[in-house]
Amino acid sequence: MPKRGGGRPRNNWKNGAPSCFEHDDRIHHTGRRVMFKQSQNKGKNNKFKNWNDAKILFDDDVDMGASGNAQNRRGAYRGRGGRLGSPPPRPSQHKKKFITGVLPWYQITIPYGAKHEKDVILKVLLSHISPEVFIPHYFKIEGNSAIFYVDDVKVAEKLFHADRKITMPNGFKLVVIVRNAVPRINITDDMKEKMKLAMAKRYNPTTKALDLTKFHADPDLVDVFCALFRPIIMLAAVDIIAENIPDLEALNLNDNKLHGLEHLKILATKFKNLKILYMGDNRIPSVAPLEALKALPLVELYLKGNPLVNRFNDNETYKSEVRRKFPKLTRLDGDELPPPIGFDIPDDVSLPPAQQSFLVDPNGQELIKEFLKQYFAIYDSESRQPLLDAYHESATCSLAASYLNTDSRNSNSTNKLNTYMVNSRNLMRITDRDHRRRYLKTGKLQVVSLLSELPKTTHDLMGFAVDLVIFNPNMVVLTMNGVFREIMTTGTPLRSFHRTFVIVPNNSGGFCILNDMYFVTNATKEQEDKAFSTSTPASVPTPTTTPAAPAIPAVTPAAQPVAGTSQEDTQKMMLNMLSQQTGMNEHWSINCLQETGWDYQRALFIFNQLQSEGKIPQEAFVK
Amino acid sequence: MATESTLKNVDSACETAEEFTRLFYKHLDNSRHLTSKLYLDASLLVWNGNGINGNAKIQKFLLDLPPSNHYVKTIDAQPISENLMSNNLSYLIQACGDVTYQNEEVRKPFQQTFVIVAVEGKWKIATDCYRLQVPYST
Repeated sequence: MPKRGGGRPRNNWKNGAPSCFEHDDRIHHTGRRVMFKQSQNKGKNNKFKNWNDAKILFDDDVDMGASGNAQNRRGAYRGRGGRLGSPPPRPSQHKKKFITGVLPWYQITIPYGAKHEKDVILKVLLSHISPEVFIPHYFKIEGNSAIFYVDDVKVAEKLFHADRKITMPNGFKLVVIVRNAVPRINITDDMKEKMKLAMAKRYNPTTKALDLTKFHADPDLVDVFCALFRPIIMLAAVDIIAENIPDLEALNLNDNKLHGLEHLKILATKFKNLKILYMGDNRIPSVAPLEALKALPLVELYLKGNPLVNRFNDNETYKSEVRRKFPKLTRLDGDELPPPIGFDIPDDVSLPPAQQSFLVDPNGQELIKEFLKQYFAIYDSESRQPLLDAYHESATCSLAASYLNTDSRNSNSTNKLNTYMVNSRNLMRITDRDHRRRYLKTGKLQVVSLLSELPKTTHDLMGFAVDLVIFNPNMVVLTMNGVFREIMTTGTPLRSFHRTFVIVPNNSGGFCILNDMYFVTNATKEQEDKAFSTSTPASVPTPTTTPAAPAIPAVTPAAQPVAGTSQEDTQKMMLNMLSQQTGMNEHWSINCLQETGWDYQRALFIFNQLQSEGKIPQEAFVK
Repeated sequence: MATESTLKNVDSACETAEEFTRLFYKHLDNSRHLTSKLYLDASLLVWNGNGINGNAKIQKFLLDLPPSNHYVKTIDAQPISENLMSNNLSYLIQACGDVTYQNEEVRKPFQQTFVIVAVEGKWKIATDCYRLQVPYST
């Protein structure tokens, strides 16, 4: 095995993207000095040092030159000075040479194979290349041709040389075309289900270990192309695993023809406990791709059987190079590593666990629960007009929106936040004072008219995280975090929001919103998964209120939904506050409030006055 | 309806918010021991649903968090009616963006809302509500 850089052209093939010859590319881009003869061809040819390289550009369909077609192609392209795509000039057709492809799969096409039984074709081929054997993957008839795939380069080469060597019973010679190509992938739900079942039997729950060794050869997956070296399939597999075994600790990916690992970066975000990773007998070319796995807390790694191992002259260098990427490693390729000398500073300070809600005052719970329930019943209804009652005469409201970092604006249209963006008062973008004033909706008419413009929604009320940060008789400040679905938008996308209300008592004994600050963004994958998962109203103990359906307020616009929140609640809240602030018992607090006509400030004032005059008896403080 | 002085107050809220968020995240990410100077003595921090009362406890709580890098993407601000906050000028400020902890590569979206009040010529945080954008349903 040659060391560094020798032999086969190194390439960064991944994901079918052909423009990966970065090295030579750069020569082109800098555009100076290095000039090739054919440079008037936009330099594309310059990328390839030899014809083997050029072949790679066919990506999934590298023609091995066995088909007669290639002859024509040569003629057609010759005049243009060896464009990419034309085969190398060959002195004669008999000197066909098999070229090892970069992809670990080969497509075998038998033109007119449809004329013969599948068994007949396979039998003659097998006996021709004996003692080699092969499994014909995904055998199918397409038109007149029979097509199947093999995953072994030796077999592919033998079949390549079998072209026109076998005479069939009908007198024709069997044409065999070998191309370096992988089967088409189309990940369907059916396929995912099959993968899931195949994984289930390969999972050991006691050790939390999943064994995906040679996954594509799983007997339960013979009819689907499930090669994990294809990033799209690997990512689908990772999704399935993450969904079903989020606490995975050991993963065996031995013998899966893995090559590029860049997309496996996602392992670190999905599996926080993944400590053991086997990736032996793959095609990882060097240590560099392991960088993608660096964030995993690996203590054991297995890499034997990868080209990268042979690139080191001695085992010690190899070990230390791998360990540089994974400092916590204690086992590599089955050997114990000497314990590393570390520092006595904990390196993973974890974040405190999140709580669903915080209440600065437990007495506020029922009140805000009821308030939010009523508010969102209307907000999620046909018309948001009745919300006029929920806002203060001089209420202000502003909306800001931004895309999640994973650049959702460029993907499909359901991710687009256009309706929010046009109203977004992001002060980092809206810098002009007049504009800032205008984007701040002032007065309840403006506020409700803005809210009415926004898409129709259904909020996941049970999934709300509510933080009550200020709760006193003058004002209530609460912040909500949660998700809602846009029910009338195509694809009914899920959105995430963060919203703060400053709520004040109104004249009619209820409450209204004075400030409404609203932020909308795309929902994350995790939010998608958990959305509306606890939304069965029955599961939540709602002691007092009976109707859970949001139908009532919408159809009766005359009703006073929010404003009428019940005087009782307000009085209860005042009572609690006064009792807390003065230390008086309930009885005396009620008296004091009743005397002052439930004017809290006045009640407090009177109390302070009487207290300073020493006119409040001791019994008022006995609880 | 809106008088010139209330409109000026809107301008001031926006400009204060810009300056405040710049300072706040600079300190939070680079010199966290100074962050508590921005909080009132009796301030309240609600961090992902965990309530922390008072300047000293907030200081300790913040210092115990792993190193962070906040990337603010949106800022918004509104004036809060003065007579609500014991006649002190006060603003509601919202900052949203991404954060990385422990120099991890994953950026987590976060959203944060402050109530700040002017006390003796200095802006101080009365309440601070911080949430990472994750599912919260139990």
